[in-house]
Amino acid sequence: MTKAGVGAAAVVLLAILMFFAVSAWSRQPAIAKPSAQPIEFPHNTHVQTYKIDCQYCHADARRSEYAGLPSVERCMGCHRIVAADKPEIKKLAEYAGKQQPIPWTRVFKVPEFTYFPHKAHVGAKVACQTCHGEVEKMTTVAASTGPNLTNDMLNLVGFKPAAPPLTMGWCVQCHRQSNATQHTQAPLDCVTCHH
Amino acid sequence: MNRRDFFKIVATTGAAAATSGCQQATEQILPLVVPNENLIPGVASWFATVCRECPAGCGVLARNREGRVVKLEGNPDHPVSQGTLCARGQAALQGLYHPDRFAGPQRREGDALKSAAWDDALKTLGEKLAGVKGKGKALAVVTQLESGSLGALLDRFTQAVGGRPRVTLEPFGYEAIRAANKATFGRDAIPYYAIQDAEVVLSFGADFLETWLSNVHYAHGFARMHTFRDGKAGTFIHVEPRQSLTAANADEWVRNAPGTEAAVALAVLKLMLEGGQVADKRFGDAVAAVDPKKVAADSGVPLETLEHIAKTFAAAKPGLAIGGGVAVSGSHATATQIAINLLNAAAGNVGKTVRFGPDSAYGKVTPYAEVAKLVQAMAAGEIEVLILGSGVNPAFTLPGGLKVADAIRKVPFVVSFANLPDETTALAHLVLPDTHWLESWGDYSPMEGVSGLLQPTMKPIRDARAMGDVLLTAGRAALGGEAGKGPLPWESFEQYLKTAWEPVVKGQWAEALSQGGVWRETGAAGVTARVERVDPAPAKLEGGDGLALIAYPSSRWYDGRAASRSWLQEVPDTMTQSVWDSWAEINTETAKKLGIRQGDVVKLTSPNGSIEVPAYLSPTIHPGAVAVPIGHRYAPYHLRLKYVPAGSTSANPMALLPAAADAASGGPAFLSVKVSVAKTGARRPMAILQATHDQDDRELVRHVDLDTARKEALAGRKHAEAHPTMYTAHEYKGYRWGMAVDVDACIGCQACVVACHAENNVAIVGKAEAAYGRQVSWLRIERWAEGPADHPHNGFLPMFCQHCEVAPCEPVCPVFAAYHTEEGLNGQVYNRCVGTRYCGNNCPYHVRRFNWWNYEFPSPLEIQLNPDVTVRQLGIMEKCTMCIQRIVAGKDHAHRDEKRAVRDGDIQTACQQTCPTKAITFGNMKDEGSAVSKLAHAARAYNVLDEVGTQPNVHYLKKVVRGAHGPEAPKPAKGGHA
Repeated sequence: MTKAGVGAAAVVLLAILMFFAVSAWSRQPAIAKPSAQPIEFPHNTHVQTYKIDCQYCHADARRSEYAGLPSVERCMGCHRIVAADKPEIKKLAEYAGKQQPIPWTRVFKVPEFTYFPHKAHVGAKVACQTCHGEVEKMTTVAASTGPNLTNDMLNLVGFKPAAPPLTMGWCVQCHRQSNATQHTQAPLDCVTCHH
Repeated sequence: MNRRDFFKIVATTGAAAATSGCQQATEQILPLVVPNENLIPGVASWFATVCRECPAGCGVLARNREGRVVKLEGNPDHPVSQGTLCARGQAALQGLYHPDRFAGPQRREGDALKSAAWDDALKTLGEKLAGVKGKGKALAVVTQLESGSLGALLDRFTQAVGGRPRVTLEPFGYEAIRAANKATFGRDAIPYYAIQDAEVVLSFGADFLETWLSNVHYAHGFARMHTFRDGKAGTFIHVEPRQSLTAANADEWVRNAPGTEAAVALAVLKLMLEGGQVADKRFGDAVAAVDPKKVAADSGVPLETLEHIAKTFAAAKPGLAIGGGVAVSGSHATATQIAINLLNAAAGNVGKTVRFGPDSAYGKVTPYAEVAKLVQAMAAGEIEVLILGSGVNPAFTLPGGLKVADAIRKVPFVVSFANLPDETTALAHLVLPDTHWLESWGDYSPMEGVSGLLQPTMKPIRDARAMGDVLLTAGRAALGGEAGKGPLPWESFEQYLKTAWEPVVKGQWAEALSQGGVWRETGAAGVTARVERVDPAPAKLEGGDGLALIAYPSSRWYDGRAASRSWLQEVPDTMTQSVWDSWAEINTETAKKLGIRQGDVVKLTSPNGSIEVPAYLSPTIHPGAVAVPIGHRYAPYHLRLKYVPAGSTSANPMALLPAAADAASGGPAFLSVKVSVAKTGARRPMAILQATHDQDDRELVRHVDLDTARKEALAGRKHAEAHPTMYTAHEYKGYRWGMAVDVDACIGCQACVVACHAENNVAIVGKAEAAYGRQVSWLRIERWAEGPADHPHNGFLPMFCQHCEVAPCEPVCPVFAAYHTEEGLNGQVYNRCVGTRYCGNNCPYHVRRFNWWNYEFPSPLEIQLNPDVTVRQLGIMEKCTMCIQRIVAGKDHAHRDEKRAVRDGDIQTACQQTCPTKAITFGNMKDEGSAVSKLAHAARAYNVLDEVGTQPNVHYLKKVVRGAHGPEAPKPAKGGHA
């Protein structure tokens, strides 16, 4: 190969590597790292210790496409009194006092051209943990979801690895399985979710 | 490395980085602080209120998602709208979220309006009011028609502070109808016209399908009396010098010379008498001096046509004659309306289809003659404080001869409550933006017996305050009173409203609000007709030689108030298919004589002024007339966003009209001048969306004559065999969605098109892109004309994705973005689309729309976007989805909430929902009892372009025509009939 040829190939390779480096393939939805939330809310305490139902706080899960977050009032319902001296609760009380919403960092998100209805899944008795992981054991909620480069590269060369959580393949696989084994009518029609 | 290599590497890696897309950034998710009981995120709340886009006062349901209104629909319980809404009503959301809406109070400093604080502004207003307190004539208040509590409160305000009686300014006030009713029936009122009960409607220029009085309600009525589907086949005869949209829906359009309507009506009455069809001989006195032959010669309407009209109208059981529009607003207007009254009285329609009792609120508008007197008082320096409500724009909507802007400039203190900048706020010293009607309390009574309630459907999105609240505060400040005492004791307008309504609702306020108001039967008021001689003289037109100017109210812009909405600029005028422009409609022959081509800018000059507009050549308009729609103007953001070229101006034909009111009626003389038409040499090519109205032999709109339709409806008709196909048929295990469009019912009003824009986040592309054919609108109304060019018979074809069984777009998509869903729709998956455009190329109906650019939704219009529908970006193909988001929601509601299958009528597409004539039907084709199944298998059903073999799931029903476009009609028509 000529010198110019090598140079050109190098540039092309660099372009490809740059593309991968910054493309969605190497990025995932932001993961909440333990210190990334404004208040260190521990799910394990609330769920395992105090046995609070998911839908006590995430009440809209059975009524709407969004599961919702508990309002500041809902938190204060107990925390006006419970553990009111702890520093994290004091942070909560500050927000409530200023009548400001708590700016949580979003953990789970499907792309904006996708319509995921919580209501249908809660109605079909799909456990929250199926998609959200073992939330009852988590302190701050963390997740590793979405497409990743390794998985896509394997698919490209002909392997069929399991789809990562919250990718479309993962949703479709569960729908298929559920229809085959549990007599559900989970839709497989594109426009049901993409409209 | 050397410089060249460095740049090569940087450019390539930069390009690679740029093409790789954006990272999903961290996003915050905010809970509510105190949850609202009625707000479930993801589930809509509905609020009943009343549309205030025009005085028709249709009841509206506002769909509120997470605290903001995203769609309006008619209130099914409201007697005026009956669940539907017109194009202007659907576009009201663009007024609520208008990018040019005032952020807060404004105070004039030099040439500009600068932001001010409410406290300062209110203080100023209080001081100025104190200055005119008790002076009597120095304070003037001008508002739109407020036939409810706000009007009553404003009247108390003017009484308390001491000012002139409030002026209600409505540019279309129908003064001639009132004057004629006073003369004939002794009643200064506009009755209720029961169009739905008439067998024959004879209209003299009344555009009841566009703006006349109450276009949604009367369109309903028209559908009920005229569409074949409902078993009726009423006859509609329309007399007008131009083929308006209403004229195009007539079974017979009669073209008369402008200003001859009185003569024509009287000739018809005379011929009825001569035919022995009128029992009461008194009517003979009224028409003693009328010679039908002379009328035929003067008006250009053949004698046979006049005889035919007389015969048809007299034989109707019952008939209805109505008059309106600009064609009856000249010096002959009152005479015409009296003639119409006599026609109705002679035919026995009074009390049947002309009902006094449930009188229209338009009867309370201040006649133009009084408005003109006020303007003259302003010019004479008599007014010290002028208060203008939010729905008036007198500097734009009143005749140019009145020189309103100059008069307003003489007033030392002008305060406007408008929430959008316009020609009048440009003259104001203080602007105190009123809350939008969707943000306000109030009530509105469009006719006796119907009182609609307005309630805030969301919090105000700008720093606006209700006009009632502001005037209560400022009035008390001026009078030195405090809340609870004095002539203006109420704390707020809301309190005033609730107090006023207490005796009406008797404790059931919440129920009344939820219904949208209260309505009760109003007893008919008996009237007797006084017969007097009527002068058949034509309208006097000043201006020597020239063409008669017909300035008519536009169904898209009304008097100009609705032109600021981009939807109503981009949705075309159905007859001309023009967008983003106004025009002068000139007869093709006349234009040829004057050497004018389409798109030439012509200067129209009257004794009162001149305007420059592009010419539109029409074969149908009377050769002696030129027509210009009223109300075209651009909003500042239309120019900012370059929807039209920079520096674009527009022209309102009101500028050409004289100050003087019509003497007999006190109304503005819309038809009163002749204009000279001169070429300016400039060109302004119009963006016309439909290249030709001649369908050749493609049979897109098909007709069937009335007799055959009746026979086939009873006996059935063998439908053509389905075109063979090489693809396997689809199997539908569940629902199968389909639609039926009744061309016989479609009046071409474009309400469905605007509703589709609102529901589906359809982008606005602007004039230049629209001229290329790149408009993104999923639904279009095509107008197809048959017969002689100067007297065509029109059919309106709503065209959208036909959801073909054998769709040409599906096999050609390389990425499976276009596919056939399990329920019969042609689905489009936006995230798969890579923008090949092969599908759009293959579609024989041209219904696939491509996003050539990233179209902007200028703030705060993005708040209106429907959260259930993806917003498409550059490179994506889109098209009608049969409102899949509504189908999904409907199935969710039926299956999961109510544990049952979807029933017919549960799911309505946006276009179907808003159509005043119910021309569009959607439903489950597998359900034999569903409305759509019955229509799809009706004798009149056909498919557009069925010879291509696409097997559409959208079925059309043929338009029913009467013989050769009219029994015994003198002109036989040529053209295809299926």
